[in-house]
Amino acid sequence: MNPASEGRPGEATLVRNMNSLLEVSKALGAEARLDSLLSVIVNKATEVMEAERSSIFIYDEATETLCLRVSEDLAQGQIRVPLGVGIAGHVARTREPLNVPDAYADPRFSPQFDRDTGFQTRSILCAPALTNAGRLIGVIQVLNKVGRSAFTADDESLLAAFASIAGIALDRARLVEAFLEKEKIESSLRLAHDIQMGMLPKRFPQRPEIDLFATLRPAKSVGGDLYDFRLDGDRLWFVVGDVSGKGVPAALFMAVTKVLFGVSVEVESSPAAAMGRVNRALCRENEHFLFVSAFLGRLDVGTGELEYANAGHNLPYRLASDGSVSTLPASPGLVMGVNEDFVYRTESTRLDPGDGVFLFTDGVTEAIDGKNELFSEARLEAYLGATKGWSPVEVVAGALRALDDFVGAAAQFDDITALSVRYRPD
Amino acid sequence: MKMSDDQRGDVLIVRPEGRIDTTTSEELERWVAARLDGGTRRLVVDMSAVDYISSAGLRVFLMTVKKLRGSGGQFVLGGLNTSVRQIFELAGFLSIFAVETDVDRAVARAAGAAGGA
Repeated sequence: MNPASEGRPGEATLVRNMNSLLEVSKALGAEARLDSLLSVIVNKATEVMEAERSSIFIYDEATETLCLRVSEDLAQGQIRVPLGVGIAGHVARTREPLNVPDAYADPRFSPQFDRDTGFQTRSILCAPALTNAGRLIGVIQVLNKVGRSAFTADDESLLAAFASIAGIALDRARLVEAFLEKEKIESSLRLAHDIQMGMLPKRFPQRPEIDLFATLRPAKSVGGDLYDFRLDGDRLWFVVGDVSGKGVPAALFMAVTKVLFGVSVEVESSPAAAMGRVNRALCRENEHFLFVSAFLGRLDVGTGELEYANAGHNLPYRLASDGSVSTLPASPGLVMGVNEDFVYRTESTRLDPGDGVFLFTDGVTEAIDGKNELFSEARLEAYLGATKGWSPVEVVAGALRALDDFVGAAAQFDDITALSVRYRPD
Repeated sequence: MKMSDDQRGDVLIVRPEGRIDTTTSEELERWVAARLDGGTRRLVVDMSAVDYISSAGLRVFLMTVKKLRGSGGQFVLGGLNTSVRQIFELAGFLSIFAVETDVDRAVARAAGAAGGA
């Protein structure tokens, strides 16, 4: 050591402090989990600052409050302090360290903690923990300098340095936690997606008079499309639906809707009655205001008679055997889950041999290309007009290909569902 | 999506611009919820600058109308363009919402004066 420096009392302290900070940054660097990190910070603050107690407040931007996360003798998360209130709140607001030599002489000091814990606060040193970008992460507070009446100016710069290291470590830990949380959400979304796909029937009815094919291509963020069908004697029930919104709630609502359809078509005698039953059940427990549009059809495979009910869904197309395409005339009805008293209507038409229908969700017509243009009904109709003589699997697969060609590299925003039935008696 | 609002008497006019889809509907939901929490009971949405609304957007309006009717308030939509109006019609929502052709009529109806239908 340079002998010239021995006469300057600050020098030895400075070196000792530097070493302490190095220790602290090593300890903090080793700990990436937020809870453990908070304990390490509090313990190291007490040790390095030669204080009797330390605590750390984490700043919650959304509510503009400080939340006491770790202190030796207080339950965590119990104490919340608004910005600007108390010593810590003052430091959070000004973003400047504050040295209070005599707590009880400072009007900002709240003696409540002392009363609650039996601790006797004398001196306080408090510093903000900021990120590299200057965002407030929290406030570190040390109490009662051991062997002295108050914290010194050296202590102030030491705690400021300590807090800046802690701020960066905390910011990193928060990023790690946010990343892990996102991973967790994504894995639950993948699970919801698997459940959704697992509920869709993949084995299509084998009857000589009919040919049916359906597909659902989910968007990356799980959506709530559904399709289903059931052969009940000579009657083929089929449905396509679309739950509002996306994510796990929509997928769950879709699952419930599908189950309800399965039950309703067994006990009800008409598409409108089945629709009404599903609607009433969906209205009963719908705190999140989700709703589902659906088109439900029932084809008599002996006569070609097609009865249907609409719940605010995109109108399907009739694909005539001569290649012409027209929308099935249906009243709009109302999406299900909104009004439990709504009365649905059964409408009907007759399919001639060779005629088919094509049902879809708005993921088809509202698919967007790179120039923000919609695929639209017009493009869908043009495509369907060129499918004369095609089987349902060819019509559905071809529709998805046409959609892919149109969309190009643009992302898929919504579930895409298509179902086609062809009536072909001998 | 851009959002603005304008108080006319005791009617608040909210004016979203652009597409109301899954992403932007969350913004709209927060915006409207904050106004309702702030005591707004007569609300008009000026739809003239909206060129698309998805089911997620319709859900926000559904939530709003249920909340406002539950507390004796008024909720009226005005200025829907043809394609947006078609989306409402397709879902059957023209029977659920009070819809006026333009904003002035919507405001008059929300204010309780003799408005449109």
